[in-house]
Amino acid sequence: MKKTTITLLAALSLSSTLSFAAYPNKDVQGIIQWGAGGSTDTVMRSISPHVEKELGTDIILTNKTGGVGAIATKYVNAKKADGYTLLMGAENPQMYKILGLSDIDYSDMIAINVLARGTPIIVANNDAPFNTMSELIEYTKAHPGEVKFGSTGAGGLTSIVTAMLDSQVKLDYISIPYNGDGPALTALQGGAIDVMPAVLGATIEQIKAGRMKAISLVDVESNKLLPNLAPITDALPGMKSYLPWGPFFGVFVKKGTPEDAVEKLQAAFQKAAYNKDFIDLMQKRGFTIMNISGEEADYFLEAYRSTSSWLVHDAGFSKFSPEEFGIRKP
Amino acid sequence: MSSQSPLIKTRKPGERLFCFLLVMGSTYLFWQAYNISGLSSLSSPGAFPLASAAVMVLASCVAFLNTLKSPAAEGVRFVYHCFPPVVAIIMALILVYSIVLDSLGFILSSFAFLFISIQFLYRRSVLTTLTITLLSLIVVYIVFRLVFQVVLPEGIVPEREILSAIESFVEIVILWML
Amino acid sequence: MDALNYFAMSWLSPELLGLTALGTFLGIYVGAIPGLSVTMAVSILISFTFSWDVNYALCLMVGVYMGGVYGGSRTAILLNIPGAPSAIATALDGYPLAKKGLAGEAIGLSTVMSVVGGFVGIIVLALAAPTVSEFAITFQPRDYMMLGVLGIMLVGSLSGSSLARGIFAGALGLLIGTVGLDPMTAEERFTYGVVELWDGINPVAVMIGMFGISEALHQLHHMNKAVVKQKISRIIPKWSDVKKYMPLSLQTSFIGVIVGALPGTGGDIAALMAYDHAKRVTKKPKVPFGEGAKEGLIAPEAANNAAVGGAYIPMLTLGIPGDAVTAVFIGALFIHGLNPGPLLLVEQPHMFWFTVGNLTLANIFVLIFGLTGIKLFSKIVECPKGVLIPLIFLLSIVGAYAINNAVTDIWWMLAFGVFGYFMRLYAFPVGPVILGVILSSLTDENWRRAILSERGSVSDLFINLFHSPLSTVLFSVIVLILFTQSPIWTKWLRAKIFRPSH
Repeated sequence: MKKTTITLLAALSLSSTLSFAAYPNKDVQGIIQWGAGGSTDTVMRSISPHVEKELGTDIILTNKTGGVGAIATKYVNAKKADGYTLLMGAENPQMYKILGLSDIDYSDMIAINVLARGTPIIVANNDAPFNTMSELIEYTKAHPGEVKFGSTGAGGLTSIVTAMLDSQVKLDYISIPYNGDGPALTALQGGAIDVMPAVLGATIEQIKAGRMKAISLVDVESNKLLPNLAPITDALPGMKSYLPWGPFFGVFVKKGTPEDAVEKLQAAFQKAAYNKDFIDLMQKRGFTIMNISGEEADYFLEAYRSTSSWLVHDAGFSKFSPEEFGIRKP
Repeated sequence: MSSQSPLIKTRKPGERLFCFLLVMGSTYLFWQAYNISGLSSLSSPGAFPLASAAVMVLASCVAFLNTLKSPAAEGVRFVYHCFPPVVAIIMALILVYSIVLDSLGFILSSFAFLFISIQFLYRRSVLTTLTITLLSLIVVYIVFRLVFQVVLPEGIVPEREILSAIESFVEIVILWML
Repeated sequence: MDALNYFAMSWLSPELLGLTALGTFLGIYVGAIPGLSVTMAVSILISFTFSWDVNYALCLMVGVYMGGVYGGSRTAILLNIPGAPSAIATALDGYPLAKKGLAGEAIGLSTVMSVVGGFVGIIVLALAAPTVSEFAITFQPRDYMMLGVLGIMLVGSLSGSSLARGIFAGALGLLIGTVGLDPMTAEERFTYGVVELWDGINPVAVMIGMFGISEALHQLHHMNKAVVKQKISRIIPKWSDVKKYMPLSLQTSFIGVIVGALPGTGGDIAALMAYDHAKRVTKKPKVPFGEGAKEGLIAPEAANNAAVGGAYIPMLTLGIPGDAVTAVFIGALFIHGLNPGPLLLVEQPHMFWFTVGNLTLANIFVLIFGLTGIKLFSKIVECPKGVLIPLIFLLSIVGAYAINNAVTDIWWMLAFGVFGYFMRLYAFPVGPVILGVILSSLTDENWRRAILSERGSVSDLFINLFHSPLSTVLFSVIVLILFTQSPIWTKWLRAKIFRPSH
């Protein structure tokens, strides 16, 4: 009896792998836009094992860095649209078109899942002579050209948050660029820079330990991780038009991928993102779980693209106007 | 790095030309570096490349002028001592290999490259070469593709399908043995 | 006695002990194969150990890290292909030793000194972590810039016969390092609109090309020459040798710990600085540097392993990675539900001494595995050239591909291989090129940050420099080296005095 069951099972599994119709019948490759140890890498590596369980196949994760993620995006779109190559990325591609980095952004791909969204926060060195957003603004106005703002290059989170600020108040500060928020936050603790906008998750542990101070949360309401921190709209109500805004992590496939593959991937990622371990992990780091796909994801992505593109364009560091790509004004 | 006497006394054939090309190349790069942001400010993106390129131009000029002073080495021929045919052939072979690597896939192109170059350099029987080639290819494939999951260019070989077929075959064998 | 308990955790549990051993063993091979980096191996292990208990996962990863940093020296000595950038300096004197048939002795000595360096790193981590990390984060952009300049001055040590050629090579390296989108302004530099160039040219690709490919091409000249028989009778180094070189390896270990602990620099820069230090303090080497001086072999090896302990210092105390590998470790801790950051040691009190104990254990395994496999490894060099050279090419190509899964890196590797072939042919040193590539962004970015902080004023930068004791010290060191000991200076003098007579 046992033997026959096994034979049957074996025959079944053999036929299922040999009939090439059912997706997935081989390993799936996940291309991560950012390097090992970064936040995109960490998020993708923590969800993948749950997805593997749902899909019943291995996901081989590969870091392919460069051109603020444009190289990975280009690579995935050069592969066959068969659902075996996933792009695991962050928000950056939404700015590619207006920055002239690439002619492909997420609107040219199929969203499998937008997993989570981060909240920006403005932090400062402990010795900085200001503690709140209004104090920061006053101090910078009183000492033009003295306060050192950290930044992480055009199109990054810091540049967009400072563009939002600039649209509200004119401030004269020194901008010192760093190679990502890790090195910049280290420099902030060492006193090489005074203030910096960053994502909440990257700063929460340092704030809790008292190694840097939180100035303002770039959101419309307080976050439960830092309940005493006032949202920026208290000091600058005009910011409401941009918020809530934040960097996100998502998984995408090339346009033209067969529907059954897309559906299976969407279902697998959706279930995996419901996993309690994953949710705990993300919330502890101050990320808001989104877990959206389909129209909902497209809407979110489009809103992000339009807010950020126009902000960057109005701040004057876009190469092309968002109008050229039909990106509507928010 | 080199184990020659502290002062260069002689020059090899082609050395003067090489140094001259370096001067030309450095000058071109200097011009390119200048085009990045000109002489706008000390903190501009072009400042550091411009400074490096300037040093390159100066140093290569000194090196070139030195070659003008030093006499040619005796009994050294370019084709024999500096760039023998075997080097040229192997360079060409590597070039072809790297071109076809992406389209043909890692397994086929590497097999061809190893087989041809070992046969050419080692000159033993075809069977010996074949064994060495296959063995080393298998080891490299296992280490890189299977252990470290470096997805080598697949080209025309449907590797992942084959791998998953092998996997399920092994599963069946294990199930049978239970 | 909690500390001792935590320290001994991985020693007493057979599973943890076994995993550390396995990790170290794997690490040595990962380190030895160019293109396979420890960073990559550890991130693969994150997925692999996802469902494990965090301590088990950490044991395996710590082993890979310790073993991997050491393993880079293997291929550097045997084949002149550094397995990782931190083994570049090892190749400079290690490979000449192998050419003389002394590969076994070289590996033996480098193993022992790596372990010594490893222990120095661990001891500093255990005893002075908070102090060192507070010191490390006070480094300002101008200090990093001066570290970069200190490094660049090594060109003098690496120049070989002609200083002008050395300087050319160094400047070329610096220029190569600037290729790509400028990380600060996203300005394109030497990219000609090619997307693949945006991320720049990977130092590992340059390294494999300049060292590995160009050397293998040169070997083709001597196809009929018999391979050098390796003496493998002496593997465990002479006690007198160990004693003799101990002061040097301790000095360079301290260089390694500090440079490793700085968040902006890692083992590669530490090893190069150690090499320079060795060259300056060794007045009369038995064998000249670059031709198989043992001092030139042990200095970088002690320093790069000491940098491991160093890199853990800011990571464990502040949650700031000391290098790329500890950055991945932070990711791993996060995935396992811990909160890497300044509070890690408060929330997870066992983590500190557990890691120290584990590193110590891994370091002991480096000694064991390092000294046992040498005979087999040395045989690699005795393999017939007709087989070895094609295999070196294959490995270089796969290794270059593995850096970032891109064919572009293969192209760069080959281009620099061919260029390096001609550079070697015409007595241009290739070492300074790699040095330049490694130090380029450190110097460029921090120079610009420093000058931006002073609103573009060089004189302000210079004056403010003397307000900070640290910057003053660094500046004095640079001036001192430049005017007293620097090979650049002495070489210039020598060239003036011993100018070839006409």
